[in-house]
Amino acid sequence: MSLFLVLCLGLFIGFSTYVSAQEKVTLRFSDWHLAEAPWDKTLAEAMALFEQRNPNIKVALEPVSYKDKETKYTVEIAAGKGPDIFHLHAFSLPMFFDKKFAKDLTPFIEKEGGAKFLEPWYPLCINMMKYKGKVHAMPGDYMSMVLIYNTELFKEAGLDPKKPPKTWDEFLEYNKKLTKPPERWGVAVLGAKDPGFELRFSPFLWSFGGDYLTPDNKKSTLNTAEAKEAFKYFIELYTKYKVMPPGVPTMNAQDVRTQVAHRKIAWEIGSGWSAPIINSINPELKAFDVLAAAPLPYKKKPVTTIWLSSWVMNPNTKHPKEAWELLKFITSKEMELNWFVKNRVTSSRKDVSEKAPEILNDKFASVIASQLPYGKVVPQIPQWPEIMDAFTTAVQEAFTEMKTPEKALADAHERINGILARKK
Amino acid sequence: MGGDGGEGKTSMKLLKIKDRQMWIFFVLPGTILLVLVLAFPAFQSILYSIYPEGGGSSYSLNNYSILFSDSVFRQVFGNTVLFVILSVASHLLLGLGVALILNRDIFAKPLFRLIALLPWVVPDVVVGIIWRWMFDPVYGAFNDLLIKVGLISTHVQWLSNPKLALLSVIFVNLWRGFPFVMLILLAGLQSIPKVLYEAGAIDGASRWQLFARITLPSLKKMLVVALALDIVWEVRRFGLIQAMTQGGPGNITEVLSTYIYKQYFQFFRFEYASAVAVVMTVALLMVSLPYIWMISQEE
Repeated sequence: MSLFLVLCLGLFIGFSTYVSAQEKVTLRFSDWHLAEAPWDKTLAEAMALFEQRNPNIKVALEPVSYKDKETKYTVEIAAGKGPDIFHLHAFSLPMFFDKKFAKDLTPFIEKEGGAKFLEPWYPLCINMMKYKGKVHAMPGDYMSMVLIYNTELFKEAGLDPKKPPKTWDEFLEYNKKLTKPPERWGVAVLGAKDPGFELRFSPFLWSFGGDYLTPDNKKSTLNTAEAKEAFKYFIELYTKYKVMPPGVPTMNAQDVRTQVAHRKIAWEIGSGWSAPIINSINPELKAFDVLAAAPLPYKKKPVTTIWLSSWVMNPNTKHPKEAWELLKFITSKEMELNWFVKNRVTSSRKDVSEKAPEILNDKFASVIASQLPYGKVVPQIPQWPEIMDAFTTAVQEAFTEMKTPEKALADAHERINGILARKK
Repeated sequence: MGGDGGEGKTSMKLLKIKDRQMWIFFVLPGTILLVLVLAFPAFQSILYSIYPEGGGSSYSLNNYSILFSDSVFRQVFGNTVLFVILSVASHLLLGLGVALILNRDIFAKPLFRLIALLPWVVPDVVVGIIWRWMFDPVYGAFNDLLIKVGLISTHVQWLSNPKLALLSVIFVNLWRGFPFVMLILLAGLQSIPKVLYEAGAIDGASRWQLFARITLPSLKKMLVVALALDIVWEVRRFGLIQAMTQGGPGNITEVLSTYIYKQYFQFFRFEYASAVAVVMTVALLMVSLPYIWMISQEE
């Protein structure tokens, strides 16, 4: 009788173990793209494919707004929770690294072959994923900022769409011709305190020969003649030349794209994501046909801002093995090409961005890829969001003529030095 | 019988002992919940606020010293005071006005009461997003409406103009927040006995005299409650401002709640943000305590 009971117990334990081994692991996957068309569909399809290939893993999709993602992840991770895998732009990484909010991926990478595994990616992109010499995130989209312009509005203004401006002086002249208020203005830029601001403004500053900080990131360099000239040029597009529509000081990236979509402005500073989003706002525009891309104008030297996104594994994840499988899948050659085909974003993988005929023959992607060698990234320091807030405050003060451009920039310079001095 | 009486007394005694202990079972869950969700975070914030920024071992008041010497904080504090005073005052005036109208025998009274309540049931952030679009200088319906009725001749930049930005946010907050005050005052108005007005009318009192001598004194308690609650809510107002202006242009519409959010969640300055939160709480207590004391005295 006892032997029978022991056998029954053994069978029960064995069956339970078998059942639990068959249980699905659920991974929480969060991305701001899940809240945006057409990305939401692409990601849902990709995750369905991942689940099909990994029947023991289920992926729960968690949309988040672009602006609030850092807040959401910070709160959740600090509370010992949060999505297993989440998407950030690379500029947020230093803050997350600093707070130990990103899992060290070195053990997984070592298992995959170490340096050889990372070979397909651009070295700059991998370096930006490192914290204290170790990879703590995987790179995603890698793009340069370019001019996105409406060729039809160019023709209407008597401009040749095949000859976009090469310098900022030409850019101003083009804008004067394109501006016909209240129907249309030349260009709009972000004036709101939005994470996309630095992507659009930095090329102005850099191409005039200025910069935000000293190379060691210890002091502000906004008091240089070059920085002052760039800032004044940028502000006067709105205040003096009035080639920007009213309301620019509170416009965010989506507001600007909406103006392009409805032909209120002729161009914007954007990248691979611009045409698909503009197309989704107003399909009647026929964005893929009407819009074109060109390198950003410059003053002294051609330069543009680099956009790089990153995939982060939550240090609190209970399923690191499965989360790594998902990370590998998202950043695989197959998926990186898929993101381009469906959403026109170029990849941080050389074997995709430099080899795929789909990218090399695309009228937007070819321009974006051609500008990568002129790309520059904003300083990767934890104080950067605060520095940018001080800077955009100055931009808004100058746009709204609360202060002269000189005074607003001088105040920002002082404030940024104060922020940098405070950090130990 | 005697035996029964003795048993009854014993069970009564037992019941009384149980009664005395029962309060623990009623109070304990609430107390634990309060400690967990209120006292613990509050204590933690105070602790954070005296913790050195960027790490360290010694506690100090350094974060407070940085805070009071920060010109942006002083501006933000001033903005908050102005925002709260104007918001609360306008809520009270409009709330009282609408409550007086809706207390009268007017056509379709229940429908108008419902309409008046609508802005209050819409979430803060949604109100902010809607009005941000309404105020858009290119597409916004607000400018078009004002031009059509002849109040303005050109499109106004409501949120980009430093002179108008804070007032525009307060205007939207007035629209969003007055129904709460109206609701409280309407309840107060309905509890005033009609005989008082009849007696006043017989004595020859004018409409203003009836309002000043009967309505207002009768509403005193309700006004105090509405005032105290509205002050607390307006100091904490976040979603509306964040959705409309994010504190801009410059720092013109930045208030304490958006400033704390920014310091904590965008700049990761937990210690400094906690110091600002503590100052905000102290300021709130200083404003609210006299009202709470006044109510408790009357009771």
